[in-house]
Amino acid sequence: MPFFKSSNKPASHYKKLQSKWVERHASLKEQLLTKHRDSLDWLAENMPAKHHIAAGSLSGLLLLAPPTLHTLPATTVTQSVKDQPISIPEKTFLLTDLTTLVPDDVRPLTATEEANITSLLSDRVKIPVRAELQGIRLNTSYGYIGAEQHLMRYPGDTIWSHFSSPDEALHYAKSGMAPGRGAWGYFAYSKAEMTQKDIDREKYYIAVQTFLAPGFSQNVREYSEFFKYRKMLVVNPQNGKAMVVVIGDAGPAQWTGKQLGGSPEVMAYLERVDGRQKGPVLYFFLDDPQDTIPLGPITL
Amino acid sequence: MKKKQFYSHIVETDSIVVKLHDMNLRDDEKAHLIALMDSSLHHVILDAILSELTTEDKKLFLKELASDDHDAIWNFLRARITGIEDKITKVATELKKELHEDIKEVHTK
Repeated sequence: MPFFKSSNKPASHYKKLQSKWVERHASLKEQLLTKHRDSLDWLAENMPAKHHIAAGSLSGLLLLAPPTLHTLPATTVTQSVKDQPISIPEKTFLLTDLTTLVPDDVRPLTATEEANITSLLSDRVKIPVRAELQGIRLNTSYGYIGAEQHLMRYPGDTIWSHFSSPDEALHYAKSGMAPGRGAWGYFAYSKAEMTQKDIDREKYYIAVQTFLAPGFSQNVREYSEFFKYRKMLVVNPQNGKAMVVVIGDAGPAQWTGKQLGGSPEVMAYLERVDGRQKGPVLYFFLDDPQDTIPLGPITL
Repeated sequence: MKKKQFYSHIVETDSIVVKLHDMNLRDDEKAHLIALMDSSLHHVILDAILSELTTEDKKLFLKELASDDHDAIWNFLRARITGIEDKITKVATELKKELHEDIKEVHTK
């Protein structure tokens, strides 16, 4: 009887086992990376040219692992390591890691999942990525993102005055302007006083369900101050695209079935869409008190 | 054929593969689980070896590993770690025991 065959059995056994083994695998990998980071970094930097990938990357470790895990389904199990491409794009490793760590269903992450994913992202961004910062966390760090409109940056800002070039207007004017101000009011008191930072904050904003954060109702003022323009990293785990953004608004409502919203620029870059084709994103606080990392797209 | 690791002759995985086969999974599901098993074993064995080596020897070992010359790897390890085969077998057996328990738990539910 051949070993591989088709099966009509429900996927529940596989799902349960896969869930346990993926978690264990991530934990073993993390343990190895943590304990022997220096040596593995050294290897990545000194690897022979035929194995070369981005210098200093912990992904160098993956070249030492059996190749089977990184390329599914079954047909690739039989490939020898010599059959692998010589140059492996760094993004491939990121997507493989994310696929391994991010759950199939869109739900709040477990503590272990959060730890594994934030560790991976911190390693990429080079500054700490956190699900909880200063004792405050959101209701979830993994959720469906919906499309938001542009926000008024100053009194009198309209869709006609909003863009800095015709090209920008061409791409993003169709999203329209929200009728009210964002949760934190205007970004600037007037057009004359608006800075590049204000412009970027509106351009690269997300709306999160601040009101559902654990402890929010008991600490409304403190939490609102914390959330206002808080810098976050938002990642589409299906294509590896990421952006540094700020919390620019509160929402969406719970009944929408979405957990956060993105400005037109954020949604376009992440290649996320609204409606029936809505997709999930990861979103975490960036611990960047010196404001070293600029808002906008970031390569992981 | 699955890629042969330098420790493949002392770490059997057939007992787990047979159990997965008995679960009547789809081909791609089975392949994914086998890949997870192989990679987990690889990580735990690398950790066990690296934990026994000095900083300088770790680098030398990783270089040997990247070359994929099994004889050279064994010569290197035997010269530096007493009872290295037993140590590899021990950590692999412990992990396989956990994997067997997972299969049993899932299979009996």
